[in-house]
Amino acid sequence: MSQKSEARWTATVLVSPAVLVLVLLNIFPIAFAVYISLRHWSLASPNPPRFAGDFNFAELLVDDRFFNSLWVSGTFVTLGVVIQLLLGFALAFVFNSKLRGLDTLRRLSLLPIMTMPLVVGLVWFYMLNENFGVINWFVTLFGSERLPFLTERTLAMLSIVLADVWQWTPFVTLVIFAALQSLPEYVFEAGRMDGLTEREIFFRITLPMLRPAIIVVLIIRAIDAFRMIELIFMMTKGGPGGATEVLPWYIYTTGFLSLDLGYAAAMAVTMIILVTLAAQVFVRQIADPGKN
Amino acid sequence: MSAATLSDTGAVHRFRFGDYARYLGAAVFVGFCLFPFYMIVSTSVKPESDIFSFPPSWVFDITFENYHSALFVFGGSGVLPFLINSIIITAASTVLAVGLGSMAAYGLTRFKVVAGDHLFFFILSTRFAPPVAFIVPLYLMMQRFGLLDTHFALVAIYTSMNLSLVVWVIRGFFEAIPIEIEEAAQIDGYSRWQIFTKVALPLVKPGLITTSILSAILAWNEFLIATVITQSSSATLPVYLSSFSGSMGLEWGPYMAVGVMGVLPIMIFTLVLQRHLVRGLTFGAVR
Repeated sequence: MSQKSEARWTATVLVSPAVLVLVLLNIFPIAFAVYISLRHWSLASPNPPRFAGDFNFAELLVDDRFFNSLWVSGTFVTLGVVIQLLLGFALAFVFNSKLRGLDTLRRLSLLPIMTMPLVVGLVWFYMLNENFGVINWFVTLFGSERLPFLTERTLAMLSIVLADVWQWTPFVTLVIFAALQSLPEYVFEAGRMDGLTEREIFFRITLPMLRPAIIVVLIIRAIDAFRMIELIFMMTKGGPGGATEVLPWYIYTTGFLSLDLGYAAAMAVTMIILVTLAAQVFVRQIADPGKN
Repeated sequence: MSAATLSDTGAVHRFRFGDYARYLGAAVFVGFCLFPFYMIVSTSVKPESDIFSFPPSWVFDITFENYHSALFVFGGSGVLPFLINSIIITAASTVLAVGLGSMAAYGLTRFKVVAGDHLFFFILSTRFAPPVAFIVPLYLMMQRFGLLDTHFALVAIYTSMNLSLVVWVIRGFFEAIPIEIEEAAQIDGYSRWQIFTKVALPLVKPGLITTSILSAILAWNEFLIATVITQSSSATLPVYLSSFSGSMGLEWGPYMAVGVMGVLPIMIFTLVLQRHLVRGLTFGAVR
């Protein structure tokens, strides 16, 4: 066998299994979802699936529940990610100071990232229980009445955000901390020699150099928060009255409780489009970290 | 600890107000992070009478009754068969994802593959596909091929979900290998395939370990697709745990014991992976 044909053969053997798996279980399902979304396809109906044109998509545009779920998702993602970024950013600077013992504390704070999201929902559901939850015990210590954390609209949303902040703030801290550690010391020394104050060093040197890391963590967090469903499943089931019905929960219940697969697929396709737009920014950041 | 400590330069560094504020901030945050774990573990060893007490009981007789009932009794069969399913599916999908992923990463790094760059970005973009968008087509596909409630279906799906992570992280490691090492092996008469398995792969061992652990975490923790694709015979621990949601009034002890079993294996992994964690979690965007 010639060298060139051996190289071609090896490259094919190396790359094609992964591509095959991705085409079968990523590309094909997306195409199939588009196909399903263009049909009346209900497991609850005795009729076989039939072509529906843009019926499901037209339905979306007049569905208040769909717009509510977009609004709820937007609120959850915005609140959660903003709090995580601010808190995580501040804590990265705390952990970056060279004080004894802080590294052990930092490592301990990583544990929530690894926790099964369903268990996160379970334990916060337990702790936020109106009657015997430990959070309500803290609340009564401060002299207030027990609060209906999971059954009042605003409180329910804030409870979900709290559980998400608990799980993912350490992730933001971890990434920003790693970026801080990788900044070369001489840049700061040069700044000091030029007579910059600590404040000027922060805004003119540190912050601009952290920018790529901040953008990366912001996009990863936003996209992952947008797909979150476990906390809803364990804590509120979308309630009370749709106050925590995020888009993934609406898709899941439409498909597997109402069994309206066509409509669920139409929402899924919409969601993929929204996520793809956001992911473009991330991909560009990774492909070309210098720019942007 | 004394009020003075040695700083990096060896000079005596006196604690200032800001240092105490930092310790306080870090301690409060770590307390916030650890408290729910305390609640999971303590509730799992509480006698039933202490679980619903308000104010919460901080002192109680430790019992392992909840673990016994969680493993063998709770919900009919106990968690044991689901735990075994979780282990099988996690192990198989991790080996497959890391195996196929590192092959593809090597192929795309070292060979001129048609549209290689586009392939890379295509593979990366699959990381962002929201699982909920796939449940309807995947369900119908698995139903069509008679694969509902099989280990195979979940293994295949988790493999595909982890491929993007593996390819992207391992690629960074392969690129760091000097090409001269591989050229030397070629002169020694190694075939291309042998260079991959005997020279390149051993050099990226840290990357293989990192991606194995991250892939295992995803497969172990995944809930949504598992709950749609499986019913009972190949259902995983999260599916078992979720099946009580909504009807849970009383059984908090066994419930939390299942929670401990769902979290503990990953906690052990976490201790191992520290060093390469960031690179893996951000696709090498932050090193």
